[in-house]
Amino acid sequence: MFIPINLALDGSNKLPSQLAKISHDELVLIELQGRLEVEGDRTGQAVGKLTLEKVGSPKPTLLIGHHLLEGKTVTLPKPLAVLHRSRPNCQETSDSQGEDGSQGSQEDVSYDIVALVKRKIVFAKRPIPVTGGVQPGSMAGDRDKKERKRAKIC
Amino acid sequence: MTGCEVRFGADRSDNGSFRLLELPPDLLKLIETSIENSTSPNLTIKGHPTDDAVLCTQNKTYTLRSVVLSNSICIVTAPEYGEEVNDGDGEGEGKEVVVIRDQVSEVLEVVPCVPKLDRLGGLLKGLEYDIDGDLEEGGPEWDGDGDVEMGSDEEVGGMSQVKKPSGVKKLTLEDARREIQASEYELERGLRDRRILQINGTLRPLRPSSLTTILTLLLNTLVSLSLPHSAAPVDELTITLLEEHEIRREVCRQVMLWFGQITPERTTGEKKEEKWSMDVESVVKEIGLGILRNHKDEPIRQDLFLSKWREEIGDTFSSSLSLSLLTGNYLSHPPLTSPSLTYFPSSSLPPDPSTRFSDLFLTRPRWRAEDLYPFLEGVAVDGKERDKLLLKFARAVGGGDGEGVWYSSRGKV
Repeated sequence: MFIPINLALDGSNKLPSQLAKISHDELVLIELQGRLEVEGDRTGQAVGKLTLEKVGSPKPTLLIGHHLLEGKTVTLPKPLAVLHRSRPNCQETSDSQGEDGSQGSQEDVSYDIVALVKRKIVFAKRPIPVTGGVQPGSMAGDRDKKERKRAKIC
Repeated sequence: MTGCEVRFGADRSDNGSFRLLELPPDLLKLIETSIENSTSPNLTIKGHPTDDAVLCTQNKTYTLRSVVLSNSICIVTAPEYGEEVNDGDGEGEGKEVVVIRDQVSEVLEVVPCVPKLDRLGGLLKGLEYDIDGDLEEGGPEWDGDGDVEMGSDEEVGGMSQVKKPSGVKKLTLEDARREIQASEYELERGLRDRRILQINGTLRPLRPSSLTTILTLLLNTLVSLSLPHSAAPVDELTITLLEEHEIRREVCRQVMLWFGQITPERTTGEKKEEKWSMDVESVVKEIGLGILRNHKDEPIRQDLFLSKWREEIGDTFSSSLSLSLLTGNYLSHPPLTSPSLTYFPSSSLPPDPSTRFSDLFLTRPRWRAEDLYPFLEGVAVDGKERDKLLLKFARAVGGGDGEGVWYSSRGKV
């Protein structure tokens, strides 16, 4: 077994400017307590709204449905290289196997270093519930079915 | 205050395809330099599916450990080209959108480790090259039964061209790169240290007795032709050894590379002539090892050994002779007034620390610190790690009375 790791930093797909400032201009790491769990197909679905306030140091908030998370940007104890698996020949297999396609063919696996990251955004606190009308427009036109459902529960 | 919308990525194959690799300072520097110069960082992950994976740079090996996080980390980028954000109602125009490509809850940690070269021995079993048996063969064949024991000096069988059914597979350098969990540089050094020849693309360990013979011949030839050992003409030497002793030139050349440097040198504009600058110490050492190897079980008196050794290398080089060259390869036995030696190479000890220690303490219940250290070099990358291993597997006794520290097995009282 022999898995090469290559560099693949093309720098063409930039993040919005405030996010790009955090550490890397193409990629940002957001740490959450727990995981984002989604029922059903989640591809392309909206999660929430990420805001960076510029009061002194940027203070990030993440609004998911009616839950507001407050976070901070921290420097990583050790820098991270973000590796992305590239498998030029196995696109179909991974599609047909769904989310666990990673075990598919191990033949031509290689990894690309897509970014070097030295800082991350961490949302470590408990979410604060926000009532419907607090931030009008923040979820401009709530179109996500799931979120609407969540709103009902609240 | 501005915000951007966070969405899940549209490409489902991204899920599980991201890894986060923690970078120690040296790796970070390596990657940063290669980004600056847009060169390849030459990083590879190596190992069989059942091995612990290692990460290799050009000259170092690291073990990869997966550390599970209780939190999850979202890898967020701008949407990819062509990944249109379907807003439904064109309201999202001009709004910034970022995409969660993957959620990761483990980080790969790297820890420097000793290259795992010991697998070479197993892979090359039965492929030893012997100067007496192999000369005529043009191809990468070998003779012998495949289960020839290491160190056996007898060549079995003839020039059989038929591959034995016992199925000794030949091994190319490319195979070794794939199989051995070591960086390129460490592998090259490993091949050199283990005296493994490359003949017609395949790897063949040179039998120790053959090596000693070649080296002795080289020394004799240098003296008899009055060639300077710091700049001996390569062609002249290899041709002499081929004609007079039937040593293949490529074999001879590789041996010369192991024991010195070959530099191309222009002589008066005519043609390039290569010169060999011999590493006298390592040649002397190897010849000493050759003699010592015969005394694995039967001790040889130290003074007898030294005079034999001196005789073998000749007067010209005897000033380089010193028993300390053989550190880590012999055991010295009392009485102290006329000690005797046995062959005890650290390379034959198990690579795993705990079995190595138990082996060492089986050989001797008590070790003086300075006697023990040479035998731990293969398992510890530096003195600090060695001391850690000693704390774990050995018990230190004494030290205050100027006699030095003795180590004994941890298990015994």
